[in-house]
Amino acid sequence: MRRAIRAYAPELLLVALIVLAAMWSSTLSPYFLNAVNLLNSAQFFVIFALMAFGLFPVVVQGEIDISLASTLAVGAVLMAKMSVAGIPLLVGLAITLAATAVLGAVNGVLVAHFGLPSLAVTLGTLGAYRGIAYLIAGDAGVTGITPDYLLLGSSWVGIVPSSVILALVVAAGFWVLMGRTAFGRYSYAIGASPGAARMAALPVRRIRVSAYALAGAMAGLAGLVWVSQYQSARGDNADGAILFVLTAVVLGGVSIKGGTGKTEGVLLATILLGTIQTGMQLANVPGTSQRLVVGALLIASIGAPRVVHLARHAWTTSRRRLSPTAVAQD
Amino acid sequence: MSAASGVVARFGLAGGGAALRVRFIGVIVFQLLLMAVFTLARPRFASWDNLQSVLFTAAILAMAAAGQTLVVLTGNLDLSVGSIMGATAYVVFDLTGTMPALGPWVVLIAVLIGLVLGAVNGFLVTTLQIPSIVATLGTLSVYRGFVSFYANAKEVTVGELPPWTRSLAAARVLGLSSYVWIAVVLVIAVGVMLRGMPWGRELYAYGSNPRAAYYYGLSSTRIVVTGYIGAGIIAAVVGLLLGAQVGNINSLLASGIEMQVLAAVVIGGVSIWGGSGSVYGAALGAVVLATINNGLVLLGVQEYYRLLFQGLAIVAAVAVDALVQRRVLRATRRRSVGVAA
Repeated sequence: MRRAIRAYAPELLLVALIVLAAMWSSTLSPYFLNAVNLLNSAQFFVIFALMAFGLFPVVVQGEIDISLASTLAVGAVLMAKMSVAGIPLLVGLAITLAATAVLGAVNGVLVAHFGLPSLAVTLGTLGAYRGIAYLIAGDAGVTGITPDYLLLGSSWVGIVPSSVILALVVAAGFWVLMGRTAFGRYSYAIGASPGAARMAALPVRRIRVSAYALAGAMAGLAGLVWVSQYQSARGDNADGAILFVLTAVVLGGVSIKGGTGKTEGVLLATILLGTIQTGMQLANVPGTSQRLVVGALLIASIGAPRVVHLARHAWTTSRRRLSPTAVAQD
Repeated sequence: MSAASGVVARFGLAGGGAALRVRFIGVIVFQLLLMAVFTLARPRFASWDNLQSVLFTAAILAMAAAGQTLVVLTGNLDLSVGSIMGATAYVVFDLTGTMPALGPWVVLIAVLIGLVLGAVNGFLVTTLQIPSIVATLGTLSVYRGFVSFYANAKEVTVGELPPWTRSLAAARVLGLSSYVWIAVVLVIAVGVMLRGMPWGRELYAYGSNPRAAYYYGLSSTRIVVTGYIGAGIIAAVVGLLLGAQVGNINSLLASGIEMQVLAAVVIGGVSIWGGSGSVYGAALGAVVLATINNGLVLLGVQEYYRLLFQGLAIVAAVAVDALVQRRVLRATRRRSVGVAA
């Protein structure tokens, strides 16, 4: 029992925080704590959840991709364009996923094969992919989406919105991928020590490129959800969403230095952020001020372990100074 | 890898240093090419009026890029530069609206704000050991969120700005905007500090090889934090200048400018790995970027081509830097083998 608690300590902490945030939200509005309302609010965070799952293996490998929100925009405008052109949903989805996977793979090749820093590369493609999205969509954006493309965002299974089910299925998929497959094991190995992974003859480059391609495809899938929920697509869709996504990943216990993190954590962190954001909307906090809270959470979730470490260090050194035996041991 | 440029500093410009020099000359050639192409396509590009406007855009960018250089030299990044500019401009000019007696002291207030915000960035990166991209992505939204919270959807109008800041923004000296001269002075001042002062040398030493700098007895925390503070102060002052020029300031002033500033720095040859490059290169990068922006507008090209071009330019510049670095590394290795023999 104790071992189980220790192994899942970060996840349990997240659950506790979610309960706290939900309690706070329910004091703001009597309508918050209601199963139908909760599930309906949840569908607005499916887009972020899909992107966070996509980013997760990249961060586990010790890299980063800040171009994902731009990739989502490309995916969304592609889907919208193909819907208007009358292409069947599944064909359109396949083309979009392939295209966004290629965009992701371009990042991956530049990082893994050319040895460029992932941050600089994806900062560049963040702008470039956004430009591509505008190029496809034009100034006015795309509207008049056909009903089959809207189905995902406007249908329910019982009381659960379809998009929420999609997110849960994807979560299960990533749980299997990262916990039960060679790709997952290699990802953790590469993140923990790229040098050792190379020595062990792991296909480091291929795994890196696959992770980036997968992240791109997930952003493309999020683009489908975007189109189905907002019934339109524009070049500036999801601008700045990477802050929320990256916060969800690191808040979920995925070390930004690579090598650690669980799918459950990412899912729980997304739910926590969603609960907080819904609460702030109930409290009428304006959108830009909500970013302040998310940004602070991003910094706090990475900085907190270090603060604990520094505090513990200061505590032990001050105790050592006081106790003469400890000094003698030094 | 980053050890290479440190070795270059020791051996002077010989060997691999030639690659760095070629890199700098390459940017100048690229700039001349751009000007030639734009002039041929649109003769209006070469008109004095237009060149003035290019230089004005370049001045703002070059100043911000000079600040960013201080951070990039240490191997870090500052994505919060646009938020610092916006926050300073809004808060300071909001204050002058209510307290006109402040006079030129507003510059001091701006410097203080920049110092604090930069120090926070430095603290997060050094003491809390948060990777700079993540830390400053966080402060980008925290600082911006703070302004929008503080502004509460209101605008600072032109009337609230002190008249002298407005006349400074409109002033011309020797036919060029006063901002161009301020930028020239600032860039040279930072350049001289980087070259001549111990602090500047420490930035290079730390950036090119953090571990060697540590063994040498340099405090990494102090170097990185002062880099961020310098960048914060410069960003704050640039924010003030930009605000004075814009006039009506809302909480979104200068948002998204970090992409352009980083592009200028990287195009100008300041290595993203740290320890190599100069503030003059960064300023040159700003001129290149301003030329591209202006030329694309004259050509009647849509705004999004600029995004595309800018993003590709960052990737290309970083790729070229990786090549240059490999060259430098190979040259120094050959040299050290020669020394050993």
